[in-house]
Amino acid sequence: MKKAWTIALNTFHESLRKKTFYILLVVALVVIGASRFFSFLAAEDELKMIKDVSFSTIEFFGALIAIFTALAAVSGEIEKRTIYTLLSKPITRSNFIIGKLIGQSLIILLNVALMSIFFIGLLFFKKSPPDIQTFKTIFLIFIELILIGSITLSVATFATDAFNLIFSFFLYIIGHLISYGTQMLERIENVVLQRLGNMLYHVIPNYENFNIKDKIVVGVDVSWQYVGQTTLYGIIYIAIAVLIGIHFFYKREV
Amino acid sequence: MALIETRELSKVYTLSSKKSVTALNNVTMSIEEGEIFGILGPNGSGKTTCLKLLLGIIFPTEGEISIMGQNQYSVVTKKNIGFLPENPYYYDYLTGPEILKFYGKLFDMPPGIIRERTDSLLELVNLNNAKNLSLKHYSKGMLERIGLAVSLINDPKILILDEPTTGLDPIGCKETRDLLKKLHDSGKTILLSSHFLSEVERVCSRIVIFHKGNLLTTGTLESLLEEYKAENLEDLFVKAIRKFDSETGQTEEDAINLQSSV
Repeated sequence: MKKAWTIALNTFHESLRKKTFYILLVVALVVIGASRFFSFLAAEDELKMIKDVSFSTIEFFGALIAIFTALAAVSGEIEKRTIYTLLSKPITRSNFIIGKLIGQSLIILLNVALMSIFFIGLLFFKKSPPDIQTFKTIFLIFIELILIGSITLSVATFATDAFNLIFSFFLYIIGHLISYGTQMLERIENVVLQRLGNMLYHVIPNYENFNIKDKIVVGVDVSWQYVGQTTLYGIIYIAIAVLIGIHFFYKREV
Repeated sequence: MALIETRELSKVYTLSSKKSVTALNNVTMSIEEGEIFGILGPNGSGKTTCLKLLLGIIFPTEGEISIMGQNQYSVVTKKNIGFLPENPYYYDYLTGPEILKFYGKLFDMPPGIIRERTDSLLELVNLNNAKNLSLKHYSKGMLERIGLAVSLINDPKILILDEPTTGLDPIGCKETRDLLKKLHDSGKTILLSSHFLSEVERVCSRIVIFHKGNLLTTGTLESLLEEYKAENLEDLFVKAIRKFDSETGQTEEDAINLQSSV
């Protein structure tokens, strides 16, 4: 675990040096900041708007950072040939993948923390301090982002960057729409299609599970039980993604 | 005692369903403890492939590898190996001491030992004055030297060096040769791959010549010069390659060695 941690810290520091991280962060902060200019709305609606825009921005730009960091984590090491010196050292390939996952999760954490601090500052500025529901929403977004990153990392162990990028974005969209998809499938009479839909529903992570902002924004509380269950759901998917990544990385020649 | 052994080691890369390239073909060799063993061969002869196989970075198509009695993937074995890749590239935002600390940690070395080794290695490779410089400001020669320091951080029993003098000026080459002799005197087993004949001639106790993935010949320089009736290593090298090409009927144009796998 110490070796994985060493790789994680290195991944974190290297990702911090990437311009992409700062560009996405600055754009996200600008979007969050811009949400306060909806002052023509009634005070209550303005707060809803700030929360809605901010949660969406943290989630969307966080997803971009998670995908780009994970993409660079494996292919960057191969392209720059730093992988040769790493794998010639007494580390296992699972040390490498777990280290990369922890490293990119630290970057995601930093990114979510910075955007959240800005957002919470905005709430204080509007004299509406955040409640525990706000933190629950941010926490579930964080788990979702780690899941998105872990899937991209896993695919990076066997696929090209171009394929991985398209796949990750496609999955991001499908993962958010899958609930609607299954509702539509229920109306289809074809049994084969229904079964296929059901299979996909159970294989593809349902990112909407992590989305509680719609409830929080309108003042509906989400229970700790739901947060716990959804976290567990996320952890199971992350574990499966990492195991698949490790499996393929053990077979990969660099 | 053989420290490293390969038995009928082959590596075939599949390019498509009909084409494959044999990078290494049925190589059996052994490297004894305490020797400087040179792998010689033209570009594309299979030297780097052989080293990557020994380090477990790529996987053999056929054959076996034994390093200190274990297979090449063993973490225990790797604790005793230092590796310098060809044209080494490291995380260029780190300084020399930082890069040594990073790799030292991967060997589970205590911080105090890493500090001690860092100081002595930076002095050994003459990079003490560049301590605060990040690697992106290093010249090619400096990168080669920090690479050598990285390969020595764990005080390895086996040192595997892939073209260690590439990019070095004549003084740098001489310093590297002197260093290799010093390391050899301290009991290290060194496996050195190079296409610079003079370098190999001066430092290696035993050599092997690779060509188109095949092991042409192996032995001490003296015994091979006698066997091939050659005047020097260059002459020996040319004779061994020509002999192989005439025996197999291959020409220089076959160098890519594309074969039909069907």
